[in-house]
Amino acid sequence: MADRQSVASAHDLELVALGATGDRRAFGELVRRHSSAVRGLLRRMGADGATADDVAQDAFLAAFEQISDFRGQGAFQAWVKRIAARLYVKRWRREARDALLTDTDEGAMSAQASAEGGAATRIDLDAALATLSAPERVCVSLCYGAGLSHAEAAAALNAPLGTVKSHVKRGLDKLRARLAPEPGERREAHV
Amino acid sequence: MSDAFEFRLERMFADSPAMPDADLFTLEVMGRLDRGWTARRLVIGGMGAIGGLVGATQIVGSGALGQLHALSSQGNAYLAEQLSQVVPAGLSHGGIGLDVQTLWMIGALAIVAAGFGLVRLVREI
Repeated sequence: MADRQSVASAHDLELVALGATGDRRAFGELVRRHSSAVRGLLRRMGADGATADDVAQDAFLAAFEQISDFRGQGAFQAWVKRIAARLYVKRWRREARDALLTDTDEGAMSAQASAEGGAATRIDLDAALATLSAPERVCVSLCYGAGLSHAEAAAALNAPLGTVKSHVKRGLDKLRARLAPEPGERREAHV
Repeated sequence: MSDAFEFRLERMFADSPAMPDADLFTLEVMGRLDRGWTARRLVIGGMGAIGGLVGATQIVGSGALGQLHALSSQGNAYLAEQLSQVVPAGLSHGGIGLDVQTLWMIGALAIVAAGFGLVRLVREI
């Protein structure tokens, strides 16, 4: 088992390799390093503090179980975020009872009104996300926070791809209006 | 296709502040991990004990022990005969107490020791 000092200075990939051999201390260091980001993402998806922590714990336990599947193609944090986001979506779908399919847009009117009223005021992402409807918030967070493609988000949500795309587009439009552009930011398209 | 705003949004999502209770959260995760392993060990151990008990009951109930005893007696007689040809009489009868049962026991222990050795060897490799 690696000692405390070497674990603290080790790269994520080294810790993952140690974790795959069952080294708890190495995995604990990974949890310490990345838990804030994972919990933050879940809160941004709309989870309250307790639910976010609960799902984040489940995600790290699942990550430990599946750690040998992590091949290091991307960052460890991104991998755990995807696990956590999918776990939260499962729970959210149970509680929302297919809100995605009904396509209700609660909060959209107030969001639209406040967006129009304060477009010039730069507010932070958390406040901006709070103005989205729940499906928009989840879809935007899945795609831009957890790094899922539209198709992957649709699969996770068990929803039609078109529905997810429209939620993402509406959410983006609202966020674009809500978050003032940075200096020099233009709507240039990138592949 | 992504525009500059979408890249900015990804950056904003990636920029999350450190939570003040990150250490406590880590302890909770590790605690759950340890509890999970303990529970798993208990379940596996319990299932093994129940399985062993059921297996032993089946063996006793099927009369296999009697058959095994008969086979063992035949084997003992054969082994004793072979042994008497290669081992001096003083050794096999009272010299150092090397009877057939002891030989069976030594053989079984040798197999167990070989198993342990093999496992150790595989771990070293």
